[in-house]
Amino acid sequence: MSAVARASSRRLPVIGGMLVLLLAVLLVSAALGQFSVSPAEIIGSFARKLGLAPAAPGTAAYADGALWNIRFPRLALGVVVGAALGVAGALMQGVFANPLAEPAVVGVSAGCAVGACTVIVLDLRWLGPATVPAAAFVMGVLTTALVYGLSRARGRTQVLMLVLTGIAVNAVANAIIAFLVFSADTASREQVTFWQLGSLNGATWTAVAVTLPLLLAGVAGAWMLARRLDALALGERSARHLGVDVERVRLWAILIVALLTAAAVSYAGIIAFVGLIIPHLLRLLIGPSHGALIPASAIGGALLISGSDLVARTAIPFADLPIGMFTALVGGPVFFVLLRRTIGAKQAQA
Amino acid sequence: MTRPIPTRSAGGAASVARGLRSARVASAALAAAVALVLSGCGVGVENAPAPPVSSAPVKPSPDARAGLQDPRTITGPSTAASVSEVVPIQKRSSPKLPVTLTDASGTAVTVSDADRILALDIYGTLAETVVGLGLGDRLVGRGSSNTLESMKALPLVTQNGHELNGEAVLALRPTLVLTDTTLGPREVQDQLRASGVTVVFFDPKRSISTIGSQVESVAHAVGLDALGRKLAARIATELVDAKERIAAIAPTDEREKPRIAFLYARGTAGVFFLFGKGMGPDDLIGAIGGIDVATAAGITGSKPANSEALLATNPDVFLMMTDGLASTGGIDGLLKRPGVADTAAGQHRRVVDMADGQVLSFGPTTPAVLLSLADAIYRPGAAR
Repeated sequence: MSAVARASSRRLPVIGGMLVLLLAVLLVSAALGQFSVSPAEIIGSFARKLGLAPAAPGTAAYADGALWNIRFPRLALGVVVGAALGVAGALMQGVFANPLAEPAVVGVSAGCAVGACTVIVLDLRWLGPATVPAAAFVMGVLTTALVYGLSRARGRTQVLMLVLTGIAVNAVANAIIAFLVFSADTASREQVTFWQLGSLNGATWTAVAVTLPLLLAGVAGAWMLARRLDALALGERSARHLGVDVERVRLWAILIVALLTAAAVSYAGIIAFVGLIIPHLLRLLIGPSHGALIPASAIGGALLISGSDLVARTAIPFADLPIGMFTALVGGPVFFVLLRRTIGAKQAQA
Repeated sequence: MTRPIPTRSAGGAASVARGLRSARVASAALAAAVALVLSGCGVGVENAPAPPVSSAPVKPSPDARAGLQDPRTITGPSTAASVSEVVPIQKRSSPKLPVTLTDASGTAVTVSDADRILALDIYGTLAETVVGLGLGDRLVGRGSSNTLESMKALPLVTQNGHELNGEAVLALRPTLVLTDTTLGPREVQDQLRASGVTVVFFDPKRSISTIGSQVESVAHAVGLDALGRKLAARIATELVDAKERIAAIAPTDEREKPRIAFLYARGTAGVFFLFGKGMGPDDLIGAIGGIDVATAAGITGSKPANSEALLATNPDVFLMMTDGLASTGGIDGLLKRPGVADTAAGQHRRVVDMADGQVLSFGPTTPAVLLSLADAIYRPGAAR
């Protein structure tokens, strides 16, 4: 059996296994938290919510509140954010033909953050709760296009150029954010500070309701591009021969990456490396075909964020650790290994 | 060198007037409080003047400062004595509920149960006010600014400095949460509200002139309006008294007034700010007869304390929070930061620190905080 066939035969078990794991993590997360609730009480709370049991007596009202207003929206938002980041990473690597492309590394997340911060600081609300994601999306599109344009040379993005462009874009974006925070009044500065912590603390159903459609649209769009991305992996010329309109694919990919990153950044702040670790790990397991990689990255990203958040919010009593800490702890070394390997391969070719 | 004293004293006059109206009611409690404050500062109780009942201000005699050094020439660090516990205006008060009100966030709220209270803001004002109203035994948790001995045993619900965690708060099963926008994220307070906890927002602005109205609005929310007026009056009387005592040790000559900068530091990196107009310290420094150099230099809000800003303001005294000073490596660490050693305060190693949870509390303990700061600044020897 060839390596490709072996990889594709692993698709179903890997995706199925991740789904089971994700479900398990979500169940454990639902049961664990600083407000201790027994599994029996959780089932009781579900029954009350579904109208199968009478309304909550005195103390159970607190349990219902902790579960339905705090813990469950947080779990749901974790799944949405993780899936969005995983798919954004996979898509970006495909369209940039570059293994190091990842929203946070190349500065797209920071670009989205500039949009979100501007809206928070200026206290704009013309789209209601969707104002922050909308602004993040607009800035995300601009940043992705900018990074893409700046890091391209001779038909593809060069690894070093991309990383260096990312550094420059991140620097400028952070400078703008710093200026926005500086010029903000006290109330919006407080809001930006909490938002910058990059945590899922304070997740609400509103946040889930705003980001979930963005995620679904983004994943569907990315999946529809899958075949054309596979063709693009053969090189731009081959892709053209196969009848792929390369420029259109790029344009759509940039829009979708920005949409997914904006959805993730708007409520959870910048969480780096999810889009790097997950697609790479999955390519090793199930091969590079985007048709499987994109849905698998969504599930994998959701699994990583849900697991990290479980640790983040339960590890230390009365503490909520920054979730980005965990992803960076794994992602930093992975990034380094990939960088060494990619540049090493380039030099061996030369 | 001009300072916007007029606006401040106008507000002060209002609270003084409020205080004098019910001075008689409050005088017994006041005497007890003054005794506590004074013993806390190491000043003899026998020197305490009677609580003021007439409106005529007591003028300090010209030689009142005799024997005291020019505060601008004092060298070395001092620590302002910690203030003592908030003395409740009445033990175990019983709130008259329900109360319906529109809170500072514009929401109509009905408070019907105040058995388990959480009072959370970045300054610690709200919890101190709850204790002052005699509801201290109903507090079920505290924020990181609530450092008074009586609250230390309560579970802490803030994390990473001043972030709230909804589950941790809800696990304490509060029935009433008094808070403002200085703690958040705001979503957490919304989560609590959605879970059926009564959440009341208060004005996040803090100054000496708003202490009275803040106390009264907290009292209103817990159905203790009369006690709130009493407590506000007691604080106003104590403030008048504190200002008179301070006037006796503070220089009157503008040229002798210490030029003070409030430095907010956390760690040895970026969190290093000068607090200017409207941040709270400007009000404290004015009340103890000093010159807030940041406000005088036109700084509104907080501004990074870089070497330019420090040299431009050139304070005689740095005022800091005790843990803030420790976090930047104590006075030696502070002096290593660019620009600090070149200021007059740096050259004289003149740093006055006060406990983090106390210095900006702007509540029932503020009169004591002023006295303690004035002692540390004008007569550090006697304060010890």
